[in-house]
Amino acid sequence: MSVTNVGHPASSHIHPPPDTFIKKYVFSLDHKVIAVQYFITGGLFFVLAGLLAELMRVQLMGPNNHVLSISTYNQAYSVHGSAMVWLVIIPLLTGGFGNLVMPLQIGARDVAFPWLNMISFWLFPPAGILLFASFLYGAPQAGWTEYPPFSVQASFGTSMWCMAIFLIGVSATITGLNFLVTIVKMRAPGMTWTRTPLFVWATGVTAFLSMIATANLSAALAGLFIQREFGVPFYDVSRGGAPVLWQHVFWFYSHPAVYIMILPAFGIVSEVIPTFVRRPIFGYKAIAYSSATIGLLSFMVWAHHMFTSGLQHWEQFAFMVLTMLIAVPTGIKIFSWVASLWGGKIRLDSPLLFVFGFLSTFTFGGVTGILLASVPVDVHEHASYFVVAHLHYVLFGGSMFGIFAGIYYWWPKMTGRLLDERLGKWHFWSMFVAFNATFLPMHWIGLHGMPRRVATYDPIYTSTNEFVSISAFVLGLSMLLFAYNALRSAKNGEIAGPNPWGGRTLEWMIPSPAPYYNFKEIPIVLSGPYDYGKPLPYANVDQELATVPVH
Amino acid sequence: MKPDTHQPLLDSGFWRAVVVMAVISAVLMYIVVVYPIDRAFLPEASVVSIPIDNLFKFSMFFSVPILVYVNGFIIYFAFRYRRRPEEPIDAVGSPIHDHPALETTWTIVPSVLMIVLAVLSYFIIPMYYPTEQAAKSDVTMEAIGHKFYFEFRYPGLKQSVMNEMHLPIGVPVTLDITSYEETLDVKTGPVLHSFWVPEFRLKQDMIPGMVVPIHFTPREIGTFRIVCAEFCGLGHSHMWGKVVVESKTDFDKWYAGQQTQAAAPEAAKPISLAGGDASAGQTLFNAKCTACHNAAPFSQTKVGPGLADLFDDPQHPNLVTGKKATPANVADILEHGAHGSYGTMPNMHANGLTDKDVANLVAYLQTLHK
Repeated sequence: MSVTNVGHPASSHIHPPPDTFIKKYVFSLDHKVIAVQYFITGGLFFVLAGLLAELMRVQLMGPNNHVLSISTYNQAYSVHGSAMVWLVIIPLLTGGFGNLVMPLQIGARDVAFPWLNMISFWLFPPAGILLFASFLYGAPQAGWTEYPPFSVQASFGTSMWCMAIFLIGVSATITGLNFLVTIVKMRAPGMTWTRTPLFVWATGVTAFLSMIATANLSAALAGLFIQREFGVPFYDVSRGGAPVLWQHVFWFYSHPAVYIMILPAFGIVSEVIPTFVRRPIFGYKAIAYSSATIGLLSFMVWAHHMFTSGLQHWEQFAFMVLTMLIAVPTGIKIFSWVASLWGGKIRLDSPLLFVFGFLSTFTFGGVTGILLASVPVDVHEHASYFVVAHLHYVLFGGSMFGIFAGIYYWWPKMTGRLLDERLGKWHFWSMFVAFNATFLPMHWIGLHGMPRRVATYDPIYTSTNEFVSISAFVLGLSMLLFAYNALRSAKNGEIAGPNPWGGRTLEWMIPSPAPYYNFKEIPIVLSGPYDYGKPLPYANVDQELATVPVH
Repeated sequence: MKPDTHQPLLDSGFWRAVVVMAVISAVLMYIVVVYPIDRAFLPEASVVSIPIDNLFKFSMFFSVPILVYVNGFIIYFAFRYRRRPEEPIDAVGSPIHDHPALETTWTIVPSVLMIVLAVLSYFIIPMYYPTEQAAKSDVTMEAIGHKFYFEFRYPGLKQSVMNEMHLPIGVPVTLDITSYEETLDVKTGPVLHSFWVPEFRLKQDMIPGMVVPIHFTPREIGTFRIVCAEFCGLGHSHMWGKVVVESKTDFDKWYAGQQTQAAAPEAAKPISLAGGDASAGQTLFNAKCTACHNAAPFSQTKVGPGLADLFDDPQHPNLVTGKKATPANVADILEHGAHGSYGTMPNMHANGLTDKDVANLVAYLQTLHK
């Protein structure tokens, strides 16, 4: 196959480095520094949102607890959900990993629009501050979905919520545009689509979703804000509006949003497996094309969140069928990943353990998702703890385990040091066991009639809730193992070298941490990245760099 | 490092693992469909709950092998194909990229399963919405969501029934479901609720401005829970009701009782509070009032304020009606209801209270200290 020049010629020269502290660490245009900024900010909000969850579980240790007032409890779960979705998972996966890894994997010096990248990040802290400041004015209480009419009646904190999410939405839209252009236009010469790493494929589809879907959220939020502050009756039945209008517009974004939250994690899994199994990923084309299919289908399933909202029966049926359809490409990926383990030379290191945790928990969440896809079953389970269980299996089991897999995997590339492997294993096992202990029982009480978004419950659910709460405390504690590991590594972790895992994608062909210019010379790509056993498929990279794993 | 291509594609170890997983799957598939999970489901108190439970069990049945094999192969491959310490650190694995026949199989089989699930679901959906025919022959009644109670309107009953829906067994019902408040202003008006009877496996959101009918037939005698399943405000956590399914005879008795209550003339003078029985009042309080009120100081608000020391505290704020906290004014609220910022206090008919009940409650409140 002849070498195809898809690279941007101007990227072949190196700019002088940034010189002042502000240019280096505050308003940096370097995608790698911006990634670290996203990781730190997202990590902080993960801790805050996690503490809210622990508070919630203290309240739910028993029925009729008075640890939190009902109003405070409602605010806690609403900010918990909003923060986890918009201030943790989406920024960590897109702004964090997308920025850190994608430009390196395509052999570029940076993203297409570095200044926009910087703006994207700097919208993030104000959005987060605005969301948490809403507690001072009565934070929203109707969950992260904020259905009207209640959200129209709620206090000023809900308007702050609208503004905060609008801001982070602008950030996500810009990042989507930026990443999509980068991936389409700036892949190194010779990197055709079928030689592109799967994390890049995942980031590309995610970028497309971020760019197109987020505007709908902005429209819904604008409507809610304008109705609350200026009285325009979008969702007001008495003057020709409809509460269900919000649900349609909100979910038209929020369903693609859950794919924004999982596709990059899929990409991380597709990278970690070949490296730690030392064989090609099984079904590369199937995984790549199924990502694109999932992206497209994700726009067509939104009303499966609304089966009890008075939809027409044909609407229920159509969305049910499309939802079941989207399970097929997802299943293909899971089976391909498992098949990728066959015949390998597996090193059971922390990144791979987190991938196994992902595969186990995400598959379970996917299966309960199929249960919920069926309208008659959903009519019973909608808005119960069964859904709370399902969403945590796919978002915590899926996205968070994927995020931790990525952190353990790319930590050496980002910092130049290794995390401690023993601590990593302890973190994984305690998190995996505690996670299942927390969320598995929720399926049961959901099926038995416990609704979500309640500060108390029928005493028949007491023992299960006690068990769940205690498991949730252990789950929270397990994160301390990671925090300790990270601090220890930053202080005096083992030096990593350019390629401690023996990976074959381009980010491992440069020193760790990467120099500000990434590549001295733009690499030329001769073949796909996952062919372990064959020589490295690159020209212009330092073939002397170790491709032998350190352990 | 040349990959080892002499390995047989699938060897006896692999097939042994497949068989072990098949056995585990079979045992679990039996458990989720037959025993003991089946016994642990909620009562199937409506006719449609049976096909819904069967659909659920069908889905769980096929989920089991998926879960067993995915997890099983991860565990098996992780052990079988781990790098042994004696092998070189950079040993590589099999170069196999894909397998069209396998990939086609694992695309087609799940697709077929999805189609079957969709078809089965398609036939069940119309069972809990009224068809044209059912709409004509069903008994039609209304379920209306309020902040924070359920109102039921029966054909032939002038007054509504609150929170406790009685139904005769075996009679198909169409329930028209909506949400309503007396004030329609968007800032204080109706919000979303949801009418969920877990034992019926039925749920329908109560949406202001929409009336959505559902259709069902109760098939078991008993008292079942109604749970509000859509966040509606501070009272959401306590918005619970009951469905009492009884024999035709018992239902007719109850219905007749409701008609008598409705026919009773409105009390022309205020209710007499003389001879109120505080302990009877306490029983009533615990049964009916604790959904929204605490037997605790005023500040311990649940939905409405705490009611301890209602009459003894000279600093006690005025009642929600703006009047001073006296037994007569409290009795007035019990009789006529009231509308507060947190929701609506139902009137005595809504709460199923007689004049004597009001007297007993006031007597109890006079003894309630913190």
